[in-house]
Amino acid sequence: MARTEDIPQPTRDAVLALAMPELPGSPWVTAKPLKQSRIAILTSAALHRRSDMPFPAGTAEFRELPYDLPATDMLMSHISINYDRNGFQRDINIAYPIDRLKDLAADGSIGSVAPTHYSVMGSTDPTTMAASADGIAVRLKQEGVDAVILAPV
Amino acid sequence: MIESRGVATVAIGLVRPHIEKTKAPRGLWVPFPLGRPFGEPEDKAFQRSVLMHALSLLERPHGPVILEDFAADAPSMRDNPGWSPQVVLTGMATPAACDVAAWTKAITAELAKVIPHWEAAQHRFGRTTVGLSRLKPEAWAPFAAQFLTGAVPESPMQGLSPALVVRYIADDMKALYAEAAQAIGPQPSMAQVNGWFWGKTIAADFLRALRTAAIASKHTGFNTAGSRFIVPGPFVEKR
Repeated sequence: MARTEDIPQPTRDAVLALAMPELPGSPWVTAKPLKQSRIAILTSAALHRRSDMPFPAGTAEFRELPYDLPATDMLMSHISINYDRNGFQRDINIAYPIDRLKDLAADGSIGSVAPTHYSVMGSTDPTTMAASADGIAVRLKQEGVDAVILAPV
Repeated sequence: MIESRGVATVAIGLVRPHIEKTKAPRGLWVPFPLGRPFGEPEDKAFQRSVLMHALSLLERPHGPVILEDFAADAPSMRDNPGWSPQVVLTGMATPAACDVAAWTKAITAELAKVIPHWEAAQHRFGRTTVGLSRLKPEAWAPFAAQFLTGAVPESPMQGLSPALVVRYIADDMKALYAEAAQAIGPQPSMAQVNGWFWGKTIAADFLRALRTAAIASKHTGFNTAGSRFIVPGPFVEKR
């Protein structure tokens, strides 16, 4: 797993039956060398601050995760119950590799870690998320982010 | 969607048919369980290798579409023979389906045995992922058990419907037990934790009873939340 044959039933059939949108065009931005790049994470794990309300089902919103948000202050309110949370219980980096990104910046493998990272609700229909994509892109550019790693759960 | 707005992206994919179809400009498929895109908890070198493989795709001169596979499995996908649950829950009986007082008493008694291990887990991991319901563990069963009779109590949380509160109680209950099961010893596989929780605890029987009540409920919110978002498909039947 997630070799499809390893996903337990009935989750496997449900996952494979999900309609995946074919987005228009073939976008391509030539990226800078990694050593000069500021990198941000966009997670679809519905992560947010402990004091915030959970992500509602089907929401197209996004939330900001400051790079120094402590792991103790982070909860996951993804609607799906059909994926593992035990790994995240041990280590946030299994889904949100903020500490590994900081390691890469510290040893010069990447240029820097973005000040802000982003979280969305993964099961939401992507075709409803254009406004969030706009909002995230504006913030990425404001903070001089060169590339984004998109992380599912 | 971000790339088309002018920022380079690389996507991790857990389900290969999905990332093939969405044609991410750069994609790395990883063979890990859903929920574990970076493979292995507490293994910095492993996580780094996944992250670096993905980021290295940003330096390829030609695309789209680039799609590669990460070669290695995550070690914790295999059962760990050195792990056994330290939470001992023998001699406790599962109540009858609709007996609110009996369920409340049984869950309260079981939680009293589990919570010391959960506290040890918080010490070990420095945090807890319990908290979505915003209720303390002792308040979970008295609230949630009312749903077993077909009643839908008032929400104790402003801004959250009663159905959502019961769903988040279920999330919190599963997280508390899973953290407690990992409080000491080597890392278990997720199958080992799931096998213990869904096979050996009264809490799991309680969640199944809530699901059964939800399926029979005419309250739309509880029917949806309780029938689909409390018990994962593979654990609907006790094994």
